Amino acid sequence: MGKKKFRFLSMILIAFMFLLAACSGGGSQTSGGGSGESGGKNVVNIGYSGPLSGPAAFYGERTLNGVKMAAEEINEAGGIDIDGTKFEVKVVALDDKYLPNEAGSNAKRLIQENKTPIVFTPHSGGIFALQVFNQVDNFIIGAYSSEPDIAKAQNPLTVMIPPRYDGYLAPFTKYTMERFGKKIAFLPTASQYGKDWAEALQPYWEEKGGEVVYNSSIDFAKDTDFFTIITNALKENPDVMFIGGASEPTAKVVKQARELGFEGGFVIMDQAKLDEMKRVLGDSYELLEGSIGVLPLVDSDEPAVPDYVKKYNEKFGEDPGSEAGLNYIAMHVFAKAMEAAGSVDDPQKIRKHIQDGLDALPAEVKIYSIPSFNEKDGNFEHDLIVGAVEDGKIIHVPAE
Amino acid sequence: MDVLIQQLFNGLTLGSVYSLVALGLTLVYGILHIPNFAHGALYMVGGYITLTMMTQAGLNYWIAIVVSCLVVGGLAVLMERLVFHPLRHAPAIHDKIAAIGIMLFLEALVQFIWGAEYQTMVSPYGQVVNVAGVTLTMQRLLIIVATVVVMIILYIFLKKTFTGATIIAMSQNRDGANLVGINTNRVAMLTFLVSGALAAIAVSLSAPINLVFPGMGHLVLTKAFVIIILGGMGSIPGAIVGGYILGFTEALGATYISNDYKDVIAFVILVLILTIKPNGLFAAKGGH
Repeated sequence: MGKKKFRFLSMILIAFMFLLAACSGGGSQTSGGGSGESGGKNVVNIGYSGPLSGPAAFYGERTLNGVKMAAEEINEAGGIDIDGTKFEVKVVALDDKYLPNEAGSNAKRLIQENKTPIVFTPHSGGIFALQVFNQVDNFIIGAYSSEPDIAKAQNPLTVMIPPRYDGYLAPFTKYTMERFGKKIAFLPTASQYGKDWAEALQPYWEEKGGEVVYNSSIDFAKDTDFFTIITNALKENPDVMFIGGASEPTAKVVKQARELGFEGGFVIMDQAKLDEMKRVLGDSYELLEGSIGVLPLVDSDEPAVPDYVKKYNEKFGEDPGSEAGLNYIAMHVFAKAMEAAGSVDDPQKIRKHIQDGLDALPAEVKIYSIPSFNEKDGNFEHDLIVGAVEDGKIIHVPAE
Repeated sequence: MDVLIQQLFNGLTLGSVYSLVALGLTLVYGILHIPNFAHGALYMVGGYITLTMMTQAGLNYWIAIVVSCLVVGGLAVLMERLVFHPLRHAPAIHDKIAAIGIMLFLEALVQFIWGAEYQTMVSPYGQVVNVAGVTLTMQRLLIIVATVVVMIILYIFLKKTFTGATIIAMSQNRDGANLVGINTNRVAMLTFLVSGALAAIAVSLSAPINLVFPGMGHLVLTKAFVIIILGGMGSIPGAIVGGYILGFTEALGATYISNDYKDVIAFVILVLILTIKPNGLFAAKGGH
């Protein structure tokens, strides 16, 4: 009896210890307040909630790298200047394992514990979850997802960072139809995002006189081999294939399609990046000939890009993609917007000065050309340039 | 017609990998009497070991596979010694929880060592072979042939050697095997070794057509469960036949019925087989 009781008590004790550990751990820092003073310095906390563990961890880390790198640069230059007072930027990152509900509770925690005026999150599920309460809790969502519904919600405290994916429909369709033909097979990833993309592309493709000859999706979390589904798609003799998902498995789809004799073009969903796919395919664009997708950042013509790529490589040991690049430029825009608003803790004021932030952006951080901010929908309006593979090289295709 | 032959070939490739994974799972079932949830994690670790041997140590593909078999087999033996052996008198639920724990531990460990990103294993057999309108790649042919070879070796080992017979004896009746003088500890370790090696072979053969990443074990583990239930828990012919049945069902179901419902089709077949033979196709005799 005594032994049993002891065991029970010790288990309770252990459980309690875990609880304590959970409470105190995780929160990577605890400086006082969003704009408080810590050690004689003014600090502004910037929140981040994204996948930092699990299968999407590498994606989360790349987005976070962008925010962190910008924050460091801002601090090195003396911090955010609000009417002569300097504020240091501190990034508080929490892991949400790619889950909307975790993103929601992370944001709550960031607001309550760290008083973050801005919370970055890199997935549409998390963004939709935050849009439910961000006006009540008064914080800006740094929304990294190209899902057009984020802008359609017209949330007055959302800033949508990447180009909306519906902007890609026209250039992708025009290019592949002219070069290869009108028959397309749909084989995107089986995620909600992939399905939404497919639903947006299908009517546009058909409106331009094309035909969708095969429509299915690949579940990268379940399928070990794509030969079966690609064989079925090729049976319909498509001229073009619509594919996408994480870059690496998408590259394997390309490889297997070529092995099965497909010679047409690929429309590549914006989630996958041509340069990352190239790395899986023996560092050559040969198999990707005739693909069109997001222009890899390293191939961009913006004057600030080469320096940025070099700095990023020194820091993280790889070429930056748009995950890092767009979050990087967004963080710089927010910092400039805070200066223009004259406040680090009034989200509504900051949101009103996003355009001023864009205008005040120093030349060396302009790795993307973003001329304007759509105040109503809350999204950056990019000068969209997409990349296509011709003769083993990336060429620029203007979106208009 | 070409499509049918192509899909039969695709099904054969899929089935081969499934069978190899299911074989390891079914062998260990004879010892643990529960499906080893950590088997998928062993499969994944095998992928990383083979990959590291090829890229870091610069070993030949085949030597890397041998190293991987030894390492993963050793890891499986370690699992048996440190976790399952001390639990042998505990209720079955403890084994299940321990197996899930090992799975989570190995996944976190791999992510810690190698990182979460996708990696590519480049095999020296990337050539594409076209035979009468059907596309074969060398790697896929290799999967099919190597699987058959492994199965034959395993069959000879289990049926024609004394050591193999002790494994069968123990899976039929642990106490009985002990009574006739079989060293059950040794046999348990041996079984885990073989099971780990089979997982390493399966992953080393199939990884070049896909990618190596921490979650890759889940791709095959759920399928392997379906297979050993369909084939009969603990049955070796059941795992082989079940693997091919599932492979062909997926390939042909996706072609002639619907790609979106190919998993449903596999489960309908499972239900049908279990309705007719509730213990699976080849229910092990002297059951548990």
